[in-house]
Amino acid sequence: MTITRRSFVALSLCASAQSLLAQQEGGIASRGVKAQAKPAPSGRPFNAQFTDVAKDAGLHAPVIYGGIDQKKYIVEANGCGCAFIDYDNDGWMDIFLLSGTRLEGAPPEATNRLYKNNRDGTFTDVTEKAGLKAVGWANGVCVGDYDNDGFDDIFCTYFGQNRLFKNNGNGTFMDVTKEAGLLQPGPARWGAGCAFVDYNRDGHLDLFVSNYIRFSFEHAPVPGEKSTCNWKGIPVNCGPRGLPTGRHILYRNNGDGTFTDVSKQAGIDVAIESYGMTVVAADFDEDGWPDIFVACDSTPSLLFMNNHDGTFREEGVTRGVALSDDGMEQAGMGVGIGDYNLDGHLDLFKTHFIDDTSGFYRNDGKGNFDEVTRAARIGVETRFTSWGAGIVDLDNDGNPDVLFVTGSVYPEVEKKLPQYPYKTRRVLFRNLGNGTFEELESQGGEGISAAHSSRGCAFGDFDNDGDMDVLIVNMNEPPSLLRNDLKVKQNWLKVKLEGVKSNRSAIGARVIARFAGKSQAQALVSQSSYYSCNDPRLHFGLGPASEADLEIYWPSGLHESYPKVAGNRLVTILEGKGLVPNRGWNR
Amino acid sequence: MKSWLFAKGVCLLPLLVFIQISFAAQAANERNSTIITALQSGEFDQALELLQSALRESPNNPQLWMFQGLAFSGKHDSQSALASYKHALKASPDYLPALEGAAQIQYQAGNADAIPLLEHVLKIRPDDVTTHAMLAVLSEKKGDCSTAVQHFSRATPAVESNPDALQGYGFCLLKLKQTEDAIRVFKELLSSRPDDVRSRRALATAQLSADKPQDALATMQPLLTSDADVETMRLGSAIYEANKDTPAAVKILRDAIVKDPSHTSLYVDFAELAMDHQSFQAGVEMVDAGIKLHPDAQLYMARGVLYVQLADYEKAEIDFEEAEKLDPSLGMSAAAQGMLANERNQNDPAQALASVRAKLVKKPNDAFLLYLQGAILSKMGADPGSTDFKKGLESTQRAVKLQPSLTAAHNLLAKFYLDAGENALAVKECRIVLQQTPSDQSALYHLVIALRKSGNQAEIPDLLKRLAKARQEATKQEGERNRYKLVVASESQSK
Repeated sequence: MTITRRSFVALSLCASAQSLLAQQEGGIASRGVKAQAKPAPSGRPFNAQFTDVAKDAGLHAPVIYGGIDQKKYIVEANGCGCAFIDYDNDGWMDIFLLSGTRLEGAPPEATNRLYKNNRDGTFTDVTEKAGLKAVGWANGVCVGDYDNDGFDDIFCTYFGQNRLFKNNGNGTFMDVTKEAGLLQPGPARWGAGCAFVDYNRDGHLDLFVSNYIRFSFEHAPVPGEKSTCNWKGIPVNCGPRGLPTGRHILYRNNGDGTFTDVSKQAGIDVAIESYGMTVVAADFDEDGWPDIFVACDSTPSLLFMNNHDGTFREEGVTRGVALSDDGMEQAGMGVGIGDYNLDGHLDLFKTHFIDDTSGFYRNDGKGNFDEVTRAARIGVETRFTSWGAGIVDLDNDGNPDVLFVTGSVYPEVEKKLPQYPYKTRRVLFRNLGNGTFEELESQGGEGISAAHSSRGCAFGDFDNDGDMDVLIVNMNEPPSLLRNDLKVKQNWLKVKLEGVKSNRSAIGARVIARFAGKSQAQALVSQSSYYSCNDPRLHFGLGPASEADLEIYWPSGLHESYPKVAGNRLVTILEGKGLVPNRGWNR
Repeated sequence: MKSWLFAKGVCLLPLLVFIQISFAAQAANERNSTIITALQSGEFDQALELLQSALRESPNNPQLWMFQGLAFSGKHDSQSALASYKHALKASPDYLPALEGAAQIQYQAGNADAIPLLEHVLKIRPDDVTTHAMLAVLSEKKGDCSTAVQHFSRATPAVESNPDALQGYGFCLLKLKQTEDAIRVFKELLSSRPDDVRSRRALATAQLSADKPQDALATMQPLLTSDADVETMRLGSAIYEANKDTPAAVKILRDAIVKDPSHTSLYVDFAELAMDHQSFQAGVEMVDAGIKLHPDAQLYMARGVLYVQLADYEKAEIDFEEAEKLDPSLGMSAAAQGMLANERNQNDPAQALASVRAKLVKKPNDAFLLYLQGAILSKMGADPGSTDFKKGLESTQRAVKLQPSLTAAHNLLAKFYLDAGENALAVKECRIVLQQTPSDQSALYHLVIALRKSGNQAEIPDLLKRLAKARQEATKQEGERNRYKLVVASESQSK
């Protein structure tokens, strides 16, 4: 209920109490939601322990992103993502980190970085050698084999020109943006989220790019200039509210290394009023065709449902994932995808701004979602501005947990209001296996409690030890690499898919692992978390179960079953052929 | 409205006496003729003497009791007159002259007891314009605008000739959000009293409510001079703001404060303007000045609200407590404190709930606190079927019962029903909200979800359009609010 001055004059004071007392925020939607009460601790031990090993692993370079003590423009504030990518197909996850720059000019460290996994817990910076040095305001990354040559390529979004880096298969990449037809003429656009997705099931990865805002330094207001440029009464960078919205793009892969913008004919360009961020493409209604979810900041999030004919219909509101449970816009930023309640359907988790809960959405298998944030006890946490997130089984007990990273966008605020620090901790929710979660504040290790202003994060097993580690982008600091050390070993299974009729990366595949009476669905996606890309090897914790039955729904439409697959190993499955030897996996 | 009430009463009295006497004369016998002659010539004492003996002979004659009522009325003895009319009505309940006489006395006294009498008259003479007019005025006075408007509309000739009645009619139409009709009535009023400031302000207010700020400005223009009174300036400020001329709105409000620094509503207006433009510190400083001059409960409330925006909860709490101390009857104060407890204990909802419950002990029937209790329990994630869920639901149901206009409570109730799978009840609550506020985003959204879950898809496309439009409108309004910022002296110096 908005109280205007007129109604203030006309109405009784009592009627306006609620809105008067609800805190008004400047440029970002936040509902001023209060945390739900924390239940009593379960007392159960949590077996995953996270240690930040970035320094020892050789990840020294800071992720340059805008001003350190002050952010004049929103372009400095949102930060960027990262990826686990096996660019050399040696079976070990390498690391790709995006980077921003500074208003006054790029310092020498400002570049995207590719770190090669040395297979001994350390990495080597191979950025220059790989031809990936690039300076600019990078935002999102998605990874996929767009040319089906067997090597994963990299697409990066920027404020400015997005870039497609083709993997040459010899440890180097080539910027093929122009050749691929992805140059964007006209004023600089703000590419945000991206996803490789074979929306027309022709076996070639198409590309969806969300756009955040239409921004220019010339016309952007500065802190304090407008009311959208204040937070808690303190002048801060402006937006996104008050700035014009971006337009999202769908590029069709022509199968010859080039792309065509089909946004209009596909029905994507109808969504013109959203600040698009992270993109997740998966088959939410289980009809065999990929749908596209776009987390949107301060505007309703979007769910494009695939019509099977090259077009989409946007149904986010009706399907329950666009707005909060009270029908309000939220600052949708990061997205986790997984199956928290083990019903075989893909659920969504969306991170938001401070003073709001994250959103947890349970899928009924038909692409209709119920918000279960409070029912799942995720609503106990509202203290942080939250970004990259994952629904990932961190302790291999068979129940996917939730982890997200946090950090303020206003470094200048904590000087006046210490209760709103710029650097904040990571948030870990352990899945109790009954549809509810428990926030672990003191368990989880120093890697969880350490405070940073983090943005993107990627989940993957960089040391191939059978558990999920976490790579995290920290603003103007080196990244964090949280190594997961399980105190008690439980069983697990990793699944690497390789498409034949489907795109070679098998992006869009849905896998259901059935074990111990549970059914856990996972999707192979090229972007999730916040502008980031996870390890493409799907990881299932099995708890005490030593094996699992696998069902694979390939992007081509093929459905395969693999019963009694033994655990504690990686299996590589070639579409239509079955299990094949792993590449480079020497565990 | 009081002045009109009395004025109308005085103007109707001679007419009524004449009608009643003429009516009575038709059946008069010789004895009665003498009484009537005495009454007509104003010899009320003589009439009373004659009536004393006549009533001894015929104690159940309603006509004689009515004559006695008239005589007492002539002597300005309303109580005795009323008692006489009541005797008449006891003898003959449908006796129209007595009904009218009694109604007249009750009406003149502003007594709601006139209503059943007038309604009785209408049963006998359904189209009686004067009776409709009197009922309209009484209903309006009672705050029952929908009844008042029904009667006003059937009393057109009487209302048109009476500016005060027109004003009451227009006020009720405005209250009922029939803004176009209100504009029509106020235009009529203004044409009958072109120099009347109140009539002009009333028309401008209606135009503002009808989202015609330019018309409102044109109406008010003649009044917006350097010697305007503060109420005119207040309205002028609201009209300037609606016309997106915030600098003018701020200026005229500041001028009004200079003109009458003790007028607390002006500071509250300024606080609201500062809220709208997220200029909280500027608002605090202005309200500070007001509090120094006139420590008023509403000013403390307003400053507390601004402190909440600045996350200065301690100062906010002090202000709310001060407001409560200064004016315990200020219904808002307890609610504000409850809200504040909720705000500052954002990570301790149990504490917030305890605080609200403590306030509910003192004010168990405070609808807003009951709603707040339900809201906190809902946000705490009470599972459907659990004790807390039931308590939250019951609390919200009570809030709605106590204050049916509390849309937030209806929305919350819809959410409870949705969570409980009671989709039909959720639909019902959403529709109640949308009746009052057609663009309520929560209600529209909950209705979409409730309809989808109940398999009723037909209405959804239209609702989605309405929701999108409501969002656009909210965004537009937010943009309007954000286009201007009030700065305090220290801020402007530093720039």
